[in-house]
Amino acid sequence: MEHKNHLTKEKIVDVKKLGAIIQKNFTVIIRDKSRIIPLILFPVFMILIFGYTSGNTPKHIPTAIIPYDNSPLSQKIQQEISNSQILTVKRILSTEGEGRKLLDTGKIKVLVEIPPNLGQKIENGEQAGIIVIVDESDSSVATTAKQALISITSGLSKDISTEKIANFQKSVDLASQKLQDYSSQYVNKYALIFSKAKNAESSLDEADKKISQQASSIENSLDAPSPVVAREVKPNESSSFNQTYLPETPAYLAAKGQAASLRQSSALIQDAKENVHSAGTISREEDEKINSIQSYQFQKNNVAEPVNKIKDFTDYGAGSLLKPLTYEEKPAYGTGKRNIDFLIPSIIALTIFQGAVMGMGRAVAGEKKDGSLTRVFLTPTSNVTIILGTLLFYIVFEIFRSSFLILLAMNLFQIKIEGSLIAVFLVVVIYAGVSTAIGMLLSSIVKSEQQYMAMSMLVSMPTVFLGGAFFPVQAMPKFLQAVAAFLPVTYAGDALRGVMIKGFSLITISYEIFILMLFLALTVGAVFLVFKRDIE
Amino acid sequence: MKSILETKGLTKKFGTLTAVNGIDLQVKEGEIFGFLGPNGAGKTTTISMLTTLVKPTSGTALVADYDLVKDASYVRSIIGVVPQSFSLFPELTAEENLEYIGKLYGMKSSVIRERITQLLKTVALYEHRNRISGAFSSGMKQRLSIAASIMSNPKVLFMDEPTTGLDPQSRIAIRELTKSLNKSGITIFYTTHDMEEAEKLCNRIAIMDKGNIIALGTSAEIKQMVKVDHTVEVELENPSKEIVSELRKMPFVSSVHQDNKILNIKVTQKEKIFFRLSDFFSRKKQKVLEIKVKEHSLEDIFIHLTKKDLRD
Repeated sequence: MEHKNHLTKEKIVDVKKLGAIIQKNFTVIIRDKSRIIPLILFPVFMILIFGYTSGNTPKHIPTAIIPYDNSPLSQKIQQEISNSQILTVKRILSTEGEGRKLLDTGKIKVLVEIPPNLGQKIENGEQAGIIVIVDESDSSVATTAKQALISITSGLSKDISTEKIANFQKSVDLASQKLQDYSSQYVNKYALIFSKAKNAESSLDEADKKISQQASSIENSLDAPSPVVAREVKPNESSSFNQTYLPETPAYLAAKGQAASLRQSSALIQDAKENVHSAGTISREEDEKINSIQSYQFQKNNVAEPVNKIKDFTDYGAGSLLKPLTYEEKPAYGTGKRNIDFLIPSIIALTIFQGAVMGMGRAVAGEKKDGSLTRVFLTPTSNVTIILGTLLFYIVFEIFRSSFLILLAMNLFQIKIEGSLIAVFLVVVIYAGVSTAIGMLLSSIVKSEQQYMAMSMLVSMPTVFLGGAFFPVQAMPKFLQAVAAFLPVTYAGDALRGVMIKGFSLITISYEIFILMLFLALTVGAVFLVFKRDIE
Repeated sequence: MKSILETKGLTKKFGTLTAVNGIDLQVKEGEIFGFLGPNGAGKTTTISMLTTLVKPTSGTALVADYDLVKDASYVRSIIGVVPQSFSLFPELTAEENLEYIGKLYGMKSSVIRERITQLLKTVALYEHRNRISGAFSSGMKQRLSIAASIMSNPKVLFMDEPTTGLDPQSRIAIRELTKSLNKSGITIFYTTHDMEEAEKLCNRIAIMDKGNIIALGTSAEIKQMVKVDHTVEVELENPSKEIVSELRKMPFVSSVHQDNKILNIKVTQKEKIFFRLSDFFSRKKQKVLEIKVKEHSLEDIFIHLTKKDLRD
């Protein structure tokens, strides 16, 4: 008999079976709460953090100013810094020492020094500038603060140089105007003298003509057929006179005398004209000389200013014109600190936490699940012993792990520890204790390692993102900053940075140590309360 | 005989669920006490309470006259527990596991050394003492687990389904080990699903169901306590329908099931059954090939007592 059944033949894509698989996965995922938590929480957290950190630049960075100079420019600089959204002036100080103390304690992140005679130097055309000390611990805060100050100084610098160039332009304009006025003034004078001389010349010409005419008409009438005045012809006289031979009457003789005197006058006028002409020429020549002498004098007097300015620029370099106000950085701690130097302490703090938290999943929840912890519970061993034993191991383990990390960083990236190694290890020990206790606390609450992984996300995510290793806490909204204040990593990071980079002593980081100790006491106390022998 | 373990009204509630409902038990010193019950009956909760892992909601329990709650630490030092699962450190070797447990019992190093050698030889793992225990077979792991649980030389050893999931050879080995431990003077509190095992191994048995002890005694006592039909298997040369229906009418027969030539007859009385049936068949001129009277197994009792229904 042929075998028959109700099963359908296998298809490559079976829609009904696809549906069944999808439905099953959906049911599985919504029932598995330990997966739902990270699945939903993680992206929410990521969006929150990235949204707030990449969109926002740090704001209200605490700043202090040391104004050694009290010029209007110095006040302007202070005003600009106060007006900045990014910087908030917390203090006006009188010495750098005070400022460095505030930097050390983290009360301010930026210290701006306005050196003595800044205004005067700029006024003199020298290049001078502000000196800035920035706490580099938080690279993004430092970068933002520097950018803000660079933009303020270059803005002011631009204003100053624009003003200077404008003044220069003005004085050049004025000089050229004066030059023009002056030269035109003298050209006019010259023209006046010249034209007056010309006028005098032509007037004399006119007078000469008239006198000559008069003389001619008198002379003509003497020789006419019916002369007004007859003359006496002398035997040695010329032919023309010979033609009209008239007796030389007294009247004739008088007219003849008058004509002669007119001719004499004309000759005198000719002489005068000649003299006026040469006087005009001379005066013109003289004027030109004076003109050139005086214009040189003017140059000396009026063009001197721009010339001096040009000299200033050549003396102090073009920079003093284009960038009179400068921005100069002074290292806050030691010299040559790089980003990695500031990153390493945060990374150490982060890895201690992550390592401890990860390890504790197996330590309690895992051992609880696989029964090995039960085996321990079955022995006459007290909770205190079990808890302390576990904590102590992980603390020691973390010390070795972070020592290795520090050594690695020191060798690979030439990290130098400025402060004491003992202080570093004290922080590492306490922080490892806190981290282990937090892990143990969570591990004691949950029932399995998987649940633990989900739960540990709740603490490790804020620690990673709000710990300041990757994202600037300063750039985050107030509520996230408040969350950061409740994270041990914040204090451990600060303390480690303080010792490793800033060379802080134990006393300087005593506040962080105190807070970490408080965390340790609270978390270990909580572990003792929560760690139950009851297997339920 | 003196009882080494005694509970009075021992109760454990998880929220509204009563897992263990006021049980009274006495385990005598030196016996193997079988603790039976279907899944979810409350066996593990009871064992957890008796081994100080779970605090009772009410009631008391004494182990060697020490209170489980008040003297938990002392009780822990005189009991040993073989948990259901492996529950040792898979990353450690056999020897390291035992050493760790020994230290947690507060034993001296020299004593631990001696005891490890002795125990590993007892459980036949001495040759594997330096192997990582995580790589052991299930049977080896269970033997190591037993060795760990008797490190401190306990007075009472609780074994929670120690043979579950093991192959027959391993099961036999564990049973033999249990017997020899018992012979060495350890009282054994033995939980199992395997009725046959309980019957073979245990001096006395308690059957637990839905948080209550529903039967307690030797296996014979329990069998007697319970009125269950006995089964008689009769093979006839040629059974007719009339014979079957007449058989059903007989007063001591409760049911008859025919399977070809074989009749499975449930009878309410076992007494003289052989005679009664052979008499009946000879009167009916039936040729009887074989009559087998089946003994009550503890399994029948168990199924009968716990009403067959599947448990969570």
